Amino acid sequence: MKRSEILSRLLVIAGVLLVLSVPLAVHFYEGQGIVEIHGRMAESGGWSPNSIHAQVGVPLHLRLTSDDVMHGFAIGQSDMPVVDVAPGKMTEVTITFNKPGTYTYYCTRWCGPNHWRMRGTIEVSGGSSDAPQPVSPPLYMTLNLNIDAPHPAIATPTERPSALRGAAFAAMLSSSYLTNDYYRAHSPSQAYLDLRADPALSSLSNPNVWDLVAYIWQSNTTPEGRAEGQRLFARNCSACHGESGGGDGVFSASVNAQTGKFPANFTDPASLLGASPALLQGKILRGGMGTGMPYWGPIFENETIWSIIGYIYTFQFDEVQK
Amino acid sequence: MKLSREQWFYIILAGLAGALIVFAPLPVRVAPPSQRTFRVEASQFAYSPAVLTVNPGDTVTIELVSTDVVHGLYVDGYGASVTADPGQTVSLTFIANEPGSFRFRCNVTCGALHPFMIGKLQVGTNTLLWRAVGLALLAAFSGVALFPRPATVKAV
Repeated sequence: MKRSEILSRLLVIAGVLLVLSVPLAVHFYEGQGIVEIHGRMAESGGWSPNSIHAQVGVPLHLRLTSDDVMHGFAIGQSDMPVVDVAPGKMTEVTITFNKPGTYTYYCTRWCGPNHWRMRGTIEVSGGSSDAPQPVSPPLYMTLNLNIDAPHPAIATPTERPSALRGAAFAAMLSSSYLTNDYYRAHSPSQAYLDLRADPALSSLSNPNVWDLVAYIWQSNTTPEGRAEGQRLFARNCSACHGESGGGDGVFSASVNAQTGKFPANFTDPASLLGASPALLQGKILRGGMGTGMPYWGPIFENETIWSIIGYIYTFQFDEVQK
Repeated sequence: MKLSREQWFYIILAGLAGALIVFAPLPVRVAPPSQRTFRVEASQFAYSPAVLTVNPGDTVTIELVSTDVVHGLYVDGYGASVTADPGQTVSLTFIANEPGSFRFRCNVTCGALHPFMIGKLQVGTNTLLWRAVGLALLAAFSGVALFPRPATVKAV
């Protein structure tokens, strides 16, 4: 073979290899740092993959799609906006984490009976503070509350308490009742008994003492907080607990069929007025109780849970600002 | 075949009658436009009720309640749509100013039989049906009247 012939053959081979390598290189380059997540109903496997890694400060690119029905995607305890994940579509999301830790991503669209089980985790490492942050135990553990036990109200009002009426007697109230610590650690019915036993309030009628309880509960929340609580309640809770809190949501029958229990009825004074905010916080954080209640600990920030709790009590108390 | 004057007369008459059937306004009772609210329950894979009947010009409000997974409702012809998650009743309001029969369908992929999750919005009386019935009757009648059977050949 002539030298020029070898050269030309080599040239052809090199050309072919070059052409073949272009798409491979593009594929490799574009795939760098992109995580593709497929959503499936929890019954058929949930998110795939359901655990991913990321670095603090390094943008995480996600491509989301669904293999069956409409899903949603959100990351708990972050302010990432909720996106829809539809079959046949790619949704691209870029997130940058500022703090290390374990984040939970979850489905935000009711995709099936076990929708809430559709969760995955993002392990975020690196960052300046590699030492684990001290975590304070939730209030229900500090108070040693048994969140699985029934919590009947020790006393119930004869008429619906109103924070507006209660505000008229607020001047008679010792400021120790208005603190956040008192509010969170006491159920409304305990607070009622405390106030009833208070000699400074002995001139008030029973309904007016209940109005004062409503006033204490109201003054520990903000209108914005209650509005946020209402929004989150509608999105996350009302499918079981009902849009009006009656425990009669569209899934209440199937919850009953599976667990023998109905979702909590927040319009029932005998039950809700026996629950302190700390107790409700425990139930929301941990879930369970043999009722099919999901655990929201990895999803909501503490303040968010307090907002939801503030809203839940409005099923019992009339608010000042409606 | 040569048509007699009489036959021409009948043909023209039938044509006029046909035009009347197609174009004449039907004596449909026209109700004044009103507010109408429907509570439609969506579940896999049907709407209940699946047929909504309204009068033209009505302001229609559809409250969509999902009882299992996230569903949508898209009204063909009107292009109005809404999405409902369980526990969050949503409503869709539009003015039914276009008479006719329209499909509404789920526009959120909700499961295997999602494409078959449909319903019907009926705006006004289905005049097309009655006009078609009238035309068919007219055609049958004039066929018999215009072209009677030829006289039977007498037996030899």
